[in-house]
Amino acid sequence: MNTNWLDKNTFHHSAFSDLNQLVDVKQQRNVTISLCLPTLNEEKTIAKEIIIMKSELMTRYPLIDELVVIDSGSTDNTAEIAKSFGADVHDANDILPRLEKFKGKGENLWKALYITRGDIIIYLDADIKNIHHRFAYGLIGPLLLHNHIKYAKAFYDRPISIGKNKIRPTGGGRVTELVIRPLFSLFFPELTQIIQPLSGEYAGFREIFEKIPFPIGYGIETSMILDIYERWGLDVIAQVDLDRRIHRNQDTKALGRMSFAILKTFINRQKRLGLIQLKNQFFDEIIQYNLVDSQYKPDVMKIVGHERPPIIEIPEYCEKFNISN
Amino acid sequence: MDDFLQNLPDMVDEIKAMRDMIITNIVLIGQTPAPTFKEKRRSMVFMERMAEFGVDEVTTDGYRNPIGIIRGASPEKPPIFVVAHLDTFFDRDIVHNYTIKKDTITGPGILDNSLGVGVMLSLPIIFQRLELGFESDIVLAGVIQSIGKGNLRGVRHLLKTWSTPIRGGICIEGVELGRLNYFSDGMIRGEIECSISENKGGKFKYPVNAILILNEIINEIMNLRLSQRPRSQIVIGKISGGANHGKIAHDANMGFEIRSDSYKMVKSIYRDIKDIVDGIGHENEVDLNIKTISNLRASRLKFNHPLVKSAASVLHSLGIKPISKSTESALSIFLSRKIPTVTLGITHGENYYAVNATAEIEPMFKGIAQVIGVLKSIDHGVCDEHQLA
Repeated sequence: MNTNWLDKNTFHHSAFSDLNQLVDVKQQRNVTISLCLPTLNEEKTIAKEIIIMKSELMTRYPLIDELVVIDSGSTDNTAEIAKSFGADVHDANDILPRLEKFKGKGENLWKALYITRGDIIIYLDADIKNIHHRFAYGLIGPLLLHNHIKYAKAFYDRPISIGKNKIRPTGGGRVTELVIRPLFSLFFPELTQIIQPLSGEYAGFREIFEKIPFPIGYGIETSMILDIYERWGLDVIAQVDLDRRIHRNQDTKALGRMSFAILKTFINRQKRLGLIQLKNQFFDEIIQYNLVDSQYKPDVMKIVGHERPPIIEIPEYCEKFNISN
Repeated sequence: MDDFLQNLPDMVDEIKAMRDMIITNIVLIGQTPAPTFKEKRRSMVFMERMAEFGVDEVTTDGYRNPIGIIRGASPEKPPIFVVAHLDTFFDRDIVHNYTIKKDTITGPGILDNSLGVGVMLSLPIIFQRLELGFESDIVLAGVIQSIGKGNLRGVRHLLKTWSTPIRGGICIEGVELGRLNYFSDGMIRGEIECSISENKGGKFKYPVNAILILNEIINEIMNLRLSQRPRSQIVIGKISGGANHGKIAHDANMGFEIRSDSYKMVKSIYRDIKDIVDGIGHENEVDLNIKTISNLRASRLKFNHPLVKSAASVLHSLGIKPISKSTESALSIFLSRKIPTVTLGITHGENYYAVNATAEIEPMFKGIAQVIGVLKSIDHGVCDEHQLA
């Protein structure tokens, strides 16, 4: 097991705070950078993310070349607010309309590959309450300054919001510790060095993203790590400490649904690699129980776990980027 | 100068074009908690941003007030000060995450005074982009320990230890756009605490209740005759005490503020209240303490002082109607040191002291233009001929 990775490929965002240096290297390497914010009803946080990123990393320092919002059909004012603050907003359903439509974060990230033009793409969740431009430059830094790194993933302290106006200093990361880390320990001990494999903030080169499949839902973070690891090895991955990220606290049932999708993604990949064999097909429904009027009633939710193929296999994409297969 | 004022309304749109940068500064400052006496983190953010913006000198004074200095063209001219207090009413464990909507910014402390600090922080970039230069050095100071028990210690120290004369000053507050403060009432802010030991009530048929003791004090204060001239006022601003509904209260305290045109009158009223407290404490055999939390001497510019007249013209030129009231803020410290100064508000807002305090974005750009207009007026010399007596 490669245990040096944690020392060699773990960074703190402050190592990349010299934005003039990043801009210089970006120009020397002649690369372009796109920022993608996937959204679904994020009217409370979207404006702040757009304003800070535009002000600091587009206007003051020309590090990011485009800022794109891919929306999953928000019913609040997310799209309107994002447009009013100058973002390039797209409805996911309008992108590649020939294809069957799905709804999910992974779907938005995959379609962002078609919409954006950058050589490097940064994905940031749109619900970060304490957004700061370090979330972007911290992830861009290793990609620009270390030639061997192709994918950078965030980790951070995870205080969670409790109640209306209070935060708890530690917590979160329950699915990581209860599901992902045990699985990684069982099958890929090297990957346990990734502190927060489920963090929603990461950046990478298009040449990587376009060659891997994207689950449309919760499994996207897990699959991305497994696929990059399988294809290019651990050394192309970096992780960056972004200090602190305040996020919404999710209830246990929601985390259960997330775990279901992640387990499915993980086991499917194990099957594909021949590491495990299943005698029966999976079921597609997670069944959870609620106590209603002194009776336990099942709450059934279908999580099919669709995956988009590597986008380089989509003709429209190849045409747009002049790729001949 | 007249030409400059004429062109000031056009500047509003140019400032508006810098909206993202200005809001970013407000958010980055506002999301860094800074309760009074614990402003260090916000001071660091303030100085880091100032340094990033290429301000000529970024430092702290001996009291750790963070300061940025933009060098002027004429070193012989005294500096002009722009100050905004860094501290807010909110503790660190309150969520300080701001929400931006199409027309508003919401979050704890935004109006008092994160928006003011964020705007001040944006001035160096605004000056650069608008190619505005000044004869005087412009000193941008985020003063600490201002509100409540801070008692304006930061600004007091800053001005007391500044080694050169100061040409004039502007105090920036988040709200309300249109305020043009140029005088401060004399003020003493105090607290009265009543404490009764648990055994005390044993020998009385009806045990002594700390809340009722304070009630008696309030009744006596209400009986005081206050003069109409100098105009005087007592505000009973807060009160708390007791444990639960059915238990005699053993502890209670109240906060009050005495204001008057005359500080002599303020002190006289304070002595009257102290006599009331001593008398009621003696008669009821309870521990009653009165203490001063903060105090200010009355000070003012005359309404026809050139700075006041010029500031009013600037506001009028932008279509803002000036409103003048007394303010108990950094202004009084400037005026007490004979430095011509006004306080200006930047925008409109609501829920001033709540966690959902909300500032309007659009009026902010006029608010910033007025600050630039008044700064230019001072730089053109409106304070130079009429130093305070």
